[in-house]
Amino acid sequence: MNKRFFAALGTVILGAAVIAGIGTYVASAKNDSRVLAATPAGTMVTPQGTLPHYTLDMSSYPDSMSGSHGKDGGVHPDWVTYGDYTNFKVPAHSVITITIKQYDSGARITNDFFAAVHGTMDGTATLNGKVVTSVDPEAVGHTFTLHGLADAKSQLFVSVPLPSLADSAVPDSGYSTTPNVVTFSFITGDAGEYVWNCEYPCGDGTTARFGGPMSTQGYMSGNFTVANA
Amino acid sequence: MSEVETPKRPSILKSKDVQKTAILWVVFTAIIGFVASTVQVRAMGAPASETMATTINMMRVFTWAASPVAGLVAAMAATSLLAKRHYGDAPPADADHEIRNSPRAASTWLVVSALLCLFAVIWGMIVLQNDNAALLNGKAMNINVTGQQWVWNFDYVDNGTTRSQDLYLPVDKPVVFHVTSKDVVHSFWIVQMGIKVDANPGYVTETSVTPNKIGIYDLRCAELCGLYHAYMQKKVHVVSQADYDTWIQSQGGKA
Amino acid sequence: MTTLTNRPAAAPGHSASKKALIERLNVFTAFGLGIIMAIVFWYAAKAFLPANTDGSFIKTNRDQWVLLSMIGWFIGFMTGIGALIGPFRWLLGKDLNHDENMFYAGKDLGVKRYFRYTTDHKVVGIQYLVVTTIIFFVGGVLAMLIRTNLGHPGGGWLQPQTYNAIVGTHGIIMIVGTIIMITGPFGNFIMPIMIGARDMAFPRLNALSFWLIVAAIPPILSSFFLGGIPTGWSAYNPLADQAPPGMDGYIMFICIFAISTMVAGANITTTVVKMRAKGMTWNRTPIFIYGTVASVALALPAFPVFFLSQVMSAMDRATGSTFYDTRGGGSGWLYENLFWIMGHPEVYVILIPAVAALMEMAPVFTRRPLFSFNLAIMGIAGISGLSVLVWAHHMYMTGWAPLLAGPFMLTTELISIPTGMLFLVLIGTLWRGRLWMTMPTASIYALLWNFMIGGITGIYLSDVPADAFLHGSMYVTAHFHYTLMGAGLTGAIASLVFWFPKMTGRMFDKTLSWVAFWLIQIGFNVAFMGMFMVGLAGQPRRVEAYAHMFSQGNMVTTAGAYVIMAGMLVLLYGMISSWRNGIMAPMNPWFAKTLEWTVPNPVPLENFEVLPVVTEDAYGYGRKQS
Repeated sequence: MNKRFFAALGTVILGAAVIAGIGTYVASAKNDSRVLAATPAGTMVTPQGTLPHYTLDMSSYPDSMSGSHGKDGGVHPDWVTYGDYTNFKVPAHSVITITIKQYDSGARITNDFFAAVHGTMDGTATLNGKVVTSVDPEAVGHTFTLHGLADAKSQLFVSVPLPSLADSAVPDSGYSTTPNVVTFSFITGDAGEYVWNCEYPCGDGTTARFGGPMSTQGYMSGNFTVANA
Repeated sequence: MSEVETPKRPSILKSKDVQKTAILWVVFTAIIGFVASTVQVRAMGAPASETMATTINMMRVFTWAASPVAGLVAAMAATSLLAKRHYGDAPPADADHEIRNSPRAASTWLVVSALLCLFAVIWGMIVLQNDNAALLNGKAMNINVTGQQWVWNFDYVDNGTTRSQDLYLPVDKPVVFHVTSKDVVHSFWIVQMGIKVDANPGYVTETSVTPNKIGIYDLRCAELCGLYHAYMQKKVHVVSQADYDTWIQSQGGKA
Repeated sequence: MTTLTNRPAAAPGHSASKKALIERLNVFTAFGLGIIMAIVFWYAAKAFLPANTDGSFIKTNRDQWVLLSMIGWFIGFMTGIGALIGPFRWLLGKDLNHDENMFYAGKDLGVKRYFRYTTDHKVVGIQYLVVTTIIFFVGGVLAMLIRTNLGHPGGGWLQPQTYNAIVGTHGIIMIVGTIIMITGPFGNFIMPIMIGARDMAFPRLNALSFWLIVAAIPPILSSFFLGGIPTGWSAYNPLADQAPPGMDGYIMFICIFAISTMVAGANITTTVVKMRAKGMTWNRTPIFIYGTVASVALALPAFPVFFLSQVMSAMDRATGSTFYDTRGGGSGWLYENLFWIMGHPEVYVILIPAVAALMEMAPVFTRRPLFSFNLAIMGIAGISGLSVLVWAHHMYMTGWAPLLAGPFMLTTELISIPTGMLFLVLIGTLWRGRLWMTMPTASIYALLWNFMIGGITGIYLSDVPADAFLHGSMYVTAHFHYTLMGAGLTGAIASLVFWFPKMTGRMFDKTLSWVAFWLIQIGFNVAFMGMFMVGLAGQPRRVEAYAHMFSQGNMVTTAGAYVIMAGMLVLLYGMISSWRNGIMAPMNPWFAKTLEWTVPNPVPLENFEVLPVVTEDAYGYGRKQS
């Protein structure tokens, strides 16, 4: 009787251990733990008062030779990607200024809504030095669209279009020396987990073009954590 | 199949296990009906539309309608358990009877369950008819909803060409949502208002509601649509007509 | 047709090379040849198929290679296990002789017969039991990963892509597991003996149906390494169209499984219709047989539709067709209709054998006849017939056909009438019985509790206005776990303990079966009651992260899930330890009256010395009142 009890208990413990092992392996193997934290940049005066100011830099590329995919471009070297990281961490109740260098070509965006700027501090973004509220929907490369759970804690929605370079300006190898530079700022609320993804689908797999890099993490999407400092 | 009893037997209600079962039946029905309806109604929270209020009420009614059935099953199961239970490796002696059927019990059960079914169908169809009334009513305002992996955007077509990522609704005004998708199947679900319709690529589907309480509610995508399905959610703001006009003008629309 | 008669065994003589081939093929040659063919087809596809052009973004080369490679795996595996030998020999006019057939049936082969293409239905039944256990283990591991991730609101332990892949794979693996969990082990091992036959009508098809399941498993497991599946188990297009190559693993899994189900369906139905013992009229046929036949008879029309829907999905993915793409003239609604035309009958394929098995056990453990055998048959027939008319209740919210909401509401509500008949049969059998408390007996009560909850919550869902709130929420997930797991799996576990003595010759350890029963049932109810609550509060299903307001309910569900895990592991241990050194079982430990309890342990190769003649049904319990 006792032997049976201990053997049964042992099976439960062993089973739990096997499951825990599988879980730990899956969680670590499939997670991209590289996170870019925002850089402190003093304070900024805003309509909500003087808030701490942080900056984040990223780029969007026409292939995966850059970004976090390794020198050979990883499993899909021809997939468009953001880089150098796709997971970001910023503090709560702060002003975040993001600068994106856009190296890719593009075409007509599929949903004009995302050719306009939404959710930034004054509703504008700066494109190559010029203040804009929208870009030409015929020449969009990517968008940076930040959104999240409808949680009681906080809401955040920011979407900024990134204009495309002309096809001729994108070299066959390497990148253009004159990317489109887009800068925008927004204010974070309470801590929470958000996600960002590009809303101009150009992947493969369907006529909607949302396959491939559009729906694989680490390329055109990633986590965006707002954390308490 | 042998019949239940010979004519000379005493009334079925006189036997002890039937009496025990009858009492348990009443008790269980009350408990099940009360607990199941209260817990479920409380979990659904406060309704933000007439549609949701009738849905909550319907679930309460259906729970009470089903509880005598559940109560009877529970009572008969309990009675059998309360009788002497035999444990061990050898079976107990055979039961005292060879009853194989009771046409009376079977037909009663059949008729009652059929009536309960019809009750549920008819109630549901009436509620459905009422909920859809606004769609036929020309006075509703129209909002186009576009789902795209993994955000929603809204066109306030009655107020010009205003597009927004936010959903603001004036209280007590019927609204018809024309919903579509740019890519895969999503589902447009305003939780506290109790309405839902899928967003399909290539089609426009409709649902309608009249929000009747000012407040902030939840819009959640209810059909797995890929990577960030869990994050395809938004707050819905129901405000007074005046606040709505102010907001729509701030978005560049006409009140 | 094989002729199995009682002749003394003759050693299989050595003659032509084909005989040696039969002796050499087994699961290892099958895996080996399958892997080789998969690799060959992959490289051949890469070499000979035209490359992607810029404009052809709606189909991907990778899908073509993966699908062709998996087809290569399938051909290699089935050839390597020896499935083609019978048909080839017949085509050549040199059909297998008696000795070869006995070899095929596993005569004198010892343990090796479980690793081959063995036709003896008892071997196939044991094989199904082992593979079903493995399938549930894998599905259960995935469930624990899901619940661990959902243990806290922000998610993030698993990334959304990984999480979605795990959810979808858990779902489809469990669906397949629950479909085969009773008709596989017990429909194969017990059913022919229960009807007084020596084997099934088509023994080679029997082996085929089993090995097809084994062939189907590597494709679905490989999906994890090919990007996973982003859809749930329902694989909705157009999302499935856009999915990474892991989706092709799902498609192959279903296509192969569908063939297995259709083969098993033809086999079981023919066996029951044609091979019942002399004197076993339909009135004297045990209710478990009715349940098994109804289940596979439902699967026969349903699974070809599933197969077709997946072939069309594969074509959309790999050849650029647009069956499900509105931009090419197709429609996602076409997929949804095809899927649910299968999907609804399929849940009754899962449920009916479980209820029928418990109806078979109820008279044994109450020592009185089954209450209203005719009502039980009417209930099973009514459910089966109506189940093909209700599918669009899964589509109320799609906007596809609002005018059909009423008719489908009606048919769906109507199904609760025959379902109720099954309840009446069970409680009628419990009424005034002499209760013999064993773990299978307790399972009857557990089924009544779980199925009542599952059934009533189904009634809410069947009403369109309530469905407008509940569809796509965790309420639905809780509802179908209550019916498929709370009712279905409970019946399967009871069947395991009940028929274990006949299948293994040993008694399932009593204490362990009780411990497992309570852990599973309590853990299950805690877990899924919590899930009803968060569903009512507004949590959608298939989400990797959720709002903080749902935290408490999810923690409760996760805790319950861990208790289920403990219970399942105790059950697994009980199964293994009882099989290895449990108490030796007498011929009829339950003093039951169906035919399988009249044959000794271990059951002889051809079941009966002399085929039985049946003069009464199996429910002759009870004493005439004095």
